Amino acid sequence: MPVLPMPPLMQNAIEPMQVDAPPNEDNENNEEQQIVVENPSIDLEVYANQYNGIVRLHRLMYVADVCPVLAVEALKMAITYVQTTYNVNLYQLLHKRLSDLNASNAPAPPAPAADLAPVPAAALPDIAAVPAAIALPPLAQGQAAGEKDSFAYDAVWVDTKMKKAALKLEKLDSDLKNYKSNSIKESIRRGHDDLADHYLSCGDLTNALKCYSRARDYCTSGKHVVNMCLNVIKVSIYLQNWVHVMSYISKAESTPDFAEGSKEANAQVHTRLECAAGLAELQQKKYKVAAKHFLNANFDHCEFPEMISTNNVAVYGGLCALATFDRPELKRLVIASTSFKLFLELEPQLRDIIFKFYESKYASCLTLLDEIRDNLLVDMYIAPHVSTLYTKIRNRALIQYFSPYMSADMHKMAMAFNSSVGDLENEVMQLILDGQIQARIDSHNKILYAKEADQRNSTFERALVLGKKYQRHTRMLVLRAAMLKSHIHVKSVTREGSSNHGAELCVSAGSTTTAQLARM
Amino acid sequence: MGSALENFVNQVRTMSASGSFRELADDLPESVSLLARNWSILDNVLETLDVQQHTLGVLYVLLAKLHSAATANPEPVQIIQLMRDFVHRNNVEQLRFAICAFYETCHLFTDYLVQKNLSILGIKIMARAVDQIRQIDSQLTPIHADLCLLSLKAKNFNLVLTYLDGDITDISTAAAECKTQQQQQSQHTVDANNDAKYFLLFYYYGGMIYTAVKDYDRALYFFEVCITTPAMAMSHIMLEAYKKFLMVSLIVEGNIAFIPKNTQVIGRFMKPMASHYHDLVNVYANSSSEELRILILKYSEAFTRDSNMGLAKQVATSLYKRNIKRLTKTFLTLSLSDVASRVQLSGAAEAERYILNMIKSGEIYASINQKDGMVLFKDDPEKYNSPDMFLNVQTNITQVLDLVKQINKMEEEIILNPMYVKKALGSQEDDLTSQHPKTYSGDPTD
Repeated sequence: MPVLPMPPLMQNAIEPMQVDAPPNEDNENNEEQQIVVENPSIDLEVYANQYNGIVRLHRLMYVADVCPVLAVEALKMAITYVQTTYNVNLYQLLHKRLSDLNASNAPAPPAPAADLAPVPAAALPDIAAVPAAIALPPLAQGQAAGEKDSFAYDAVWVDTKMKKAALKLEKLDSDLKNYKSNSIKESIRRGHDDLADHYLSCGDLTNALKCYSRARDYCTSGKHVVNMCLNVIKVSIYLQNWVHVMSYISKAESTPDFAEGSKEANAQVHTRLECAAGLAELQQKKYKVAAKHFLNANFDHCEFPEMISTNNVAVYGGLCALATFDRPELKRLVIASTSFKLFLELEPQLRDIIFKFYESKYASCLTLLDEIRDNLLVDMYIAPHVSTLYTKIRNRALIQYFSPYMSADMHKMAMAFNSSVGDLENEVMQLILDGQIQARIDSHNKILYAKEADQRNSTFERALVLGKKYQRHTRMLVLRAAMLKSHIHVKSVTREGSSNHGAELCVSAGSTTTAQLARM
Repeated sequence: MGSALENFVNQVRTMSASGSFRELADDLPESVSLLARNWSILDNVLETLDVQQHTLGVLYVLLAKLHSAATANPEPVQIIQLMRDFVHRNNVEQLRFAICAFYETCHLFTDYLVQKNLSILGIKIMARAVDQIRQIDSQLTPIHADLCLLSLKAKNFNLVLTYLDGDITDISTAAAECKTQQQQQSQHTVDANNDAKYFLLFYYYGGMIYTAVKDYDRALYFFEVCITTPAMAMSHIMLEAYKKFLMVSLIVEGNIAFIPKNTQVIGRFMKPMASHYHDLVNVYANSSSEELRILILKYSEAFTRDSNMGLAKQVATSLYKRNIKRLTKTFLTLSLSDVASRVQLSGAAEAERYILNMIKSGEIYASINQKDGMVLFKDDPEKYNSPDMFLNVQTNITQVLDLVKQINKMEEEIILNPMYVKKALGSQEDDLTSQHPKTYSGDPTD
């Protein structure tokens, strides 16, 4: 997501890509299978810095998945970052991906022998140098070859990290056992939490989730329960287990202390829960509910880079709201909302889109939407929903456009929507068939006429159809009664009385059914 | 050879004369094998019996004759003549004592005719047989299925449609009849299943007949009855009916709107066995005639094997029509070539042909302007204010009221049932669940 002050780097990123408009069209069609983003205009560095921990890695990996242009850069940043954690597996995975990528598109990397030499020397400083590495500006393609060794596979690091991780795990484990034997609830809870934190750092999400959940039995106060819920929610989000997320959100919300405590004190927890709920609903395609959740987030307390960034909240909330709210709702909940306004300030493009939409300037609104499409597609959470949301927004715009008219010139309409008359005709046709627009198209003169529904006729029609249906059902009911009365029943028989009367009875039911047959 | 047969004739004559038909009906089944063994001289036996007076005896001789038809290879004309004589001149009172044997005779006769390719000659005979044996007009008998089979084989539906159009409120089954006649226990299970078989066959054949005369609504009803029959095991009749049900449903409604819930076997056994047809349904939902055509071509072998190819072609045509109908909802005017391209027809001429046919059959309201090549779609001109429409509504209301009356009558019957009264008064015993009113509530309406 681009942030307001655009670094020069970013403009560089845009320039060579502007040619790529036509390929975008293709993307629209095959998004379902595989999203490929050609020309995103995000600054990966800024983008990545919005997040902490696993989310950052996941997001970078997603970028590498969908966007060949940024893949190398994303992987390198991910590698740099992963070295601050104990996540050795991911490190190995990332390296494999990077070398695959280099092998496939870049010119052959320098001989592996060269890489091996500096390893012992670089091993220790590497870890220490990590913060510095993050601070480094992203590496341009040309430089990559030169600084190759800093991204070379570091076997020593892997070994030491693995050992350290094992040691720490052992220590935490024995601590926990200690606490347990002393049976001090609070310590046990902390022990569990520490252990879970460690698992999380190692990238072992399932075990982390287990440990966080275990802490539940040792919670002594409402605050602890809420805390435990938040932890579980966090890990469940990483695991993309949205049902789990939802159930723990409701658990947290129903915790007595949380419900009773002052709103101010709990604002952060509250916002966090709203965001998590929004995310979960979004993933389950319940866009309207998701929008409402995001809109409830409080800007001042929206600080959790390990889950979601403020920009994300703005974009997710804004788009979902645009796609599902009607005009009054949009006005009341989005445009007039003081808290969400702050979010929107972070995403000026989206703010413009919403305002343009509200002012019925659909052409510019849709153009702006198309501009940010690529940036949305590199976002792992919203990417699968972009095309659905866009279609919804567009349809909503079409419906709103036509709502005040009795008849509309389709040429003008096409102009307002940046499309050709033919395409528009198809779109409108679809909407008419779905019953969203009550109109008919005069294809000869290219005019759209609103259709006045004749209530009397349609009532007659419906009544007759319903009458016919009722008769049919009742007849079948009477017949069924007769059927049951005379014990008509298909059941298993051994194949013997084979008469040649067309089809024969075939038996494939299990023996379990025979018991019920006894009474026949 | 003579003595045994003479005994038979004497037995029939004396017992018929003394009016002890029940005893006679109980004794006769044992002599079937004897008669069948002596197939060569059965004609002599027949001469000594009179159809009117000795209906039961003649019936069993006929049965034996049909049983031995494979070995005896009699003249078809003679058999048909005998059957015709029998159904026209028999004594129904006597016949009632041996309904089972009569059903069996009819089934064998039908099989015989189908084998000899003389189905058309049997339709009237079977119709007469049905008329004779059913107690009320709305009763279904197992030989209804035979009548349908013969009509279907002969492709002659005029007569059978009168039997199909009526509603069925009562079913006569061989099992029930045999029970009253205390036949051998061993036959029961087979008979009980045959009842289901003939019931299914009636509705399956009926559905096919309605499909043949293009009364798809009614065909759908018949197939639906067929697939919603209570079942513990899957019958191949039901499977075939299910395949046809899917296709006819596409033609009538354009989708599979409603599969009743009381059809456990469908999900378990039929769906996997009718996967081609489900593919068809899915593709149909995309409204793309081109895809549908390709799919039908791809599965043509399977469809031909199930002899559903013709129906598949009807499905394809119905999609064209449905797409044209969709256009009428969205367009006021459209050029013929646009129609062709939107509906994926080959050209304006074909589009014109389709539209013309649809206008003729009243499916759409439109006019074609040949000069500009435009179609002008109109609304349904029916304003629901004509006397005809009034009459239509009136008859519909009467029909519904009749149905309601019937339901009330049925309810009354249940309320008057002592078993029900006992239950309703709070007795907790769980005896004879089949009589419980709950049994009747497994209805397709909800």
